[in-house]
Amino acid sequence: MGAINRGVKNAFRNSVRTFSIVFILGLSIAMSLIMFMSYRTVEKKIIGVKSSIGNTITISPAGVRGFEGGGELLTQENVEAIKTMSGVKSVNAVLSDRLDSDSSSLISAIEPGSFGRRQQGFEGGDNRQIPENFSMPVSVTGTDDLSVVSNLNVSTLNIVSGKKFDEKSEELVALVGSDLATKNNLVVDSTFSAYDRSIKVIGVFDGGNTFANSTVFMPLKTLQGISNQENQVNSITVQADSIDSVSSVENAIKTTLGDKVDVVNQQDSSSEAIKPLENIRNISVYSMIGSLIAGAIIIFLTMLMIARERKKEIGVLKAIGSTNANIVVQFVSESMALTFLGSIMGIILGFAFSNPVLQLLISSNQSIGTNNIEHGPGGGMRGMAARFVPSAQNTLDNISAVISWDIILYGLVIALIVAIIGSSIPAYIIANIRPAEVMRND
Amino acid sequence: MLKVEEVSKIFRSNEHHVVAVKKASFEISEGTFAVIIGKSGSGKSTLLSLLGALDHPTSGKILVDEQNVAKIPDRSAVKYRRDKIGFIFQNYNLIPNLTAFENVMLPMEFAGINFTERSRRAKNLLIKVGLDEKKQNRKPGKLSGGEQQRVAIARALANKPKIILADEPTGNLDSVTGNRIIELLKKTARDEKTIVIAVTHDEIIAKQAEKTIQLKDGKII
Repeated sequence: MGAINRGVKNAFRNSVRTFSIVFILGLSIAMSLIMFMSYRTVEKKIIGVKSSIGNTITISPAGVRGFEGGGELLTQENVEAIKTMSGVKSVNAVLSDRLDSDSSSLISAIEPGSFGRRQQGFEGGDNRQIPENFSMPVSVTGTDDLSVVSNLNVSTLNIVSGKKFDEKSEELVALVGSDLATKNNLVVDSTFSAYDRSIKVIGVFDGGNTFANSTVFMPLKTLQGISNQENQVNSITVQADSIDSVSSVENAIKTTLGDKVDVVNQQDSSSEAIKPLENIRNISVYSMIGSLIAGAIIIFLTMLMIARERKKEIGVLKAIGSTNANIVVQFVSESMALTFLGSIMGIILGFAFSNPVLQLLISSNQSIGTNNIEHGPGGGMRGMAARFVPSAQNTLDNISAVISWDIILYGLVIALIVAIIGSSIPAYIIANIRPAEVMRND
Repeated sequence: MLKVEEVSKIFRSNEHHVVAVKKASFEISEGTFAVIIGKSGSGKSTLLSLLGALDHPTSGKILVDEQNVAKIPDRSAVKYRRDKIGFIFQNYNLIPNLTAFENVMLPMEFAGINFTERSRRAKNLLIKVGLDEKKQNRKPGKLSGGEQQRVAIARALANKPKIILADEPTGNLDSVTGNRIIELLKKTARDEKTIVIAVTHDEIIAKQAEKTIQLKDGKII
């Protein structure tokens, strides 16, 4: 029977004590694992949030708001210049236009109403009469990336029939909003006219709101070509590679494009959104460290108690020819066996309670996030951008602990660290027990 | 041959020092059953510790086969205790969660003897000290005092030591069992050509010894 076997056997010498130690140690290891899983989950979410929201910079011509104001349109050269900047992940451009009854066969699905009439100048002290067959203009947007839905003023882009177009093509194809399609009896493969061209409907989409569902999307180059706006865009959306790069990218854009453009970012809003996640991450880290220390202290005190209790036995082992190393191996094995059992219990408890504890952390942090979040002002590009920045509430939604097999490995590594730290000082004490002292105490 | 020359042991503390053993000198040859006798605090156990290299003397020489073990470093002391010394304690000091058989195998494991050999030897030793096979697999708690001391003797003999040091080996036993243990120790000394040194304050045991070392206040008288 080797020292390791003896150590393992010793771990079960007193069943009540073994159970108590394993139980307490298991709780400590479970807590470490839960906090580690929470940390990993939240850290992953933070990285995801940083790389997907709040890193958007919107560039529009200075003096332009929607279809109002004045100024010079942006160009494709501006887009290419931005693409070369450091910290830029992607650049998307859109060109927006309005189709009226003179330039298109489409009839808007939106009723003018009092707001629409005012916008078109038919009310408010103007004596002009609204024409009999008047319909609201239909908004058409050319895009080079349909996946950047914030450019398209839609919250989602669900294709209800047909398919998406190739954004890089110059084909005369379009995606039509579901309400507009119904209003104009359009289905996939039917056509409508715009700019004196016949445009084929390639798909019908649901954009999640009434305005979006009465719009048309085309490939950017197609719209530039048929509307005689070659090379021009009226909005550029830049994704920085991280929220941390937003400021430097924004400065570079301002330096390159000068004061002829308005540059708006969502960094402030998203920083607020990340705050509760960072709180949870910090709590997880501190709790993990605390639990590890507690685990190490438990095993340390246990081994210290065992070493003192078996001082005489250690002396006997030394007297009958055991080396210090042999005895230390025996005691570390005992500590390892206890910690291993604790870690099995810890892993089971950790897996079982990781999500409830994470949800508890989230719920205790939700109030912080929702109280602090501020959206941009209601109008203009900032307001529009802010609508697409997830709030603190959104960033905390749908978070669940990432439970994977490598956690078991981490659990065992944690246990190993706890056992080594916890038994190192008792091992030193064991090594320094002199057999002669045992004789005197005998 | 064990030769002790002018061995002293002084325990020093900040304020005062205690002379536990004072210039002890004696010789014991192989196959001898010797007894160190004296009252409590006379230095018997301290002298036994020095002979077993559990502690270092303050001065003097302890020669075992011409090797001075008085000042050997700790690492060599481990080897010396393992290969040349067998210990028997008053409270038996068997490892409680190991069986009698496993207790006897333990010193041989420390000496690096393979399992088959140590298993064979442990079985033989236990039979020799009078512990039947059934009791060999019992843990110390399930054995009587006399049986535990027999296991302790078997364990002390495991590595075929030159010297067996027994600290009050009959201290916890009744007189009949104690006598049997003393007989066993004497037989061991005779048969194994081993030096057996027993510490005792029992005059009856001392009378059975071939050599008696009487201590008073650390001095041999």
